[in-house]
Amino acid sequence: MNRRRKKLFLPVVLLLCAILAALPWLGFSYGIVWIFLLAVYFTLALSYDIVGGYMGYMNLGHSTFFGLGAYSTAILLNQGFNLFAALLAALLLTAVFAAVISYPLFRLRGAYFALATFGLISLVEVLTTNFRELTGGSGGISTPPGNHMLPSYYLVLAVAGGTMLLSQIVARSKFGLALFSIREDEEVARAFGVPTTLYKGLALVISSAPASLVGGIYAWNMTYISPNSVFGLEIALSPIIMAMLGGTGIMIGPLVGAVFITLVQEFLWTKVPYFHLAMYGTVLVLIGLFMPGGIVRTRWVKPVIQWLGLGEAVDYFKSGDAERIP
Amino acid sequence: MSADFIQLLVGGILLGGIYGLAAFGLSITFGVLNVLNLAHGEFLMLGSLLSYGIFVGLGINPFIAAILVIPVFMLLGLGFYLLLLKPIMDRPPHELLVASILVTLGASLFIEDVTAFFWERPVTGISYSLPPMELAGVVISSTRLLILFFIFALAGGMQFYLKKTYIGKSIRAIVQGREGAKVVGIPISRVSALAFSIGMALAASAGAFYVTLFTVTPVMGIPLTIKYLCVVVLGGLGSIVGSVFGGLILGVAETLTAYYCGAEWSPTIAFILLILILIIKPEGLFGAKK
Repeated sequence: MNRRRKKLFLPVVLLLCAILAALPWLGFSYGIVWIFLLAVYFTLALSYDIVGGYMGYMNLGHSTFFGLGAYSTAILLNQGFNLFAALLAALLLTAVFAAVISYPLFRLRGAYFALATFGLISLVEVLTTNFRELTGGSGGISTPPGNHMLPSYYLVLAVAGGTMLLSQIVARSKFGLALFSIREDEEVARAFGVPTTLYKGLALVISSAPASLVGGIYAWNMTYISPNSVFGLEIALSPIIMAMLGGTGIMIGPLVGAVFITLVQEFLWTKVPYFHLAMYGTVLVLIGLFMPGGIVRTRWVKPVIQWLGLGEAVDYFKSGDAERIP
Repeated sequence: MSADFIQLLVGGILLGGIYGLAAFGLSITFGVLNVLNLAHGEFLMLGSLLSYGIFVGLGINPFIAAILVIPVFMLLGLGFYLLLLKPIMDRPPHELLVASILVTLGASLFIEDVTAFFWERPVTGISYSLPPMELAGVVISSTRLLILFFIFALAGGMQFYLKKTYIGKSIRAIVQGREGAKVVGIPISRVSALAFSIGMALAASAGAFYVTLFTVTPVMGIPLTIKYLCVVVLGGLGSIVGSVFGGLILGVAETLTAYYCGAEWSPTIAFILLILILIIKPEGLFGAKK
């Protein structure tokens, strides 16, 4: 059984890659835009999960890294830098920012940490609006125009794939194990010799990198960004809702959540122009009340995930979230 | 000390008093339930809108309106607690944390969006003023002084309630140790519900004062909640007196920043204070050292 699954795994992945790669040549131009955004959200959700799911610190301000990446890339592109140099510089800048901000923020725990990181977004947004000479203020900033849909589609898919790899490597490493132990009990983890302060900072830096990259690619592709479009509530909350809805601490979770939410947006948002935030809010409340483990840990989905061999992390929550669902 | 500066100081203390009053409510609910209510700012917003409605619709004095909103919001708070928080209260700590953030943040988004839908234009203050008075050469609005007096009376009354009455004492007992309080026979669930509704009522009455002085918009709830967080951390986690002082500090700092650096910088000061206090004195100004 297990061997058969392993034999199947590689061809299925290769087939999926081939389909995704071939899609632009088959004339699904709207599908490309849709998958581009799906991949952006998925990457954000998955990189959020390194801190939020593996380590158990809810970083509501994850989109700060996205916005910083977008803005730094846009500014550098306008200075005449080449795309890859700009992306790399943005990545380094965001990583340094994450490292610096981790020092005061990780002195907070639990809900306080979550709220403080949420405040971080609005701080960076206000700073972006106020430094007009650099960022164009509330009017936003334009990057060199051009149709970059196709290359950015491939780039984002590559980043999403890289993030999946990164997340898997972290989950299977000793470092990842240390993060899980911090989630279960930070005091005990420290007593067993886990350098918690260092690892928490490191986890934040690692999770900031993919967010910054997709931010840069997003800015390059859209050719116009404003403080509201990259630091807004929608981009801040959707990835977290996706990760929570799908299931945190497991790689398949954010994927399920991202596909689910983008599909719902696709079919519902166009029909109902109002109450988008209220609907997000309702989803959050319902997840919190009835589905703390996410879709992948519900009674009906969990066996499927386990059969597919993706489900080691399904059992990480020892208290068994899924069993509590009536 | 110029007259300008004293005017600013009074304005700052007033704003700080409003922050402090609401943060006091947040502090009580967090202390008793161990749940940080991210929808706290929304209740201040709703309180402002309700008292504005009472003032405009019924022509009732805003100070009486501030007292009228208290029972309404105690009931609302009770409903909020029973419907959304009680079902998740007996989960293990990490799950409780995640669930409580999801539930309160979701409720906050819901309230914000629905209010924004029905309340399109921002409410720009209540046009209610008493003749100004002069104190040592400085003209001070007596409305502001009266509000300040009300805020301190409310905070003082709360402090008295917590220190002297039986229920107040049981609230403090739960803050100090949940298990211990259970052992000596305090009905945790009932006292929690009461503490939560008191917290809501404090936020709403702070909102009633807020609307007499500042512009109220439906989207201000989440930024306000973040400010309360700064206030609570500034004063020291779990310290109820600290949150009032933290509020005063933030209010004065914001007013001075807005005057000397420009109004567009005043939203940043709360977060900068938060970062500073976390680096210098992480346990807060009045917090107990671990």
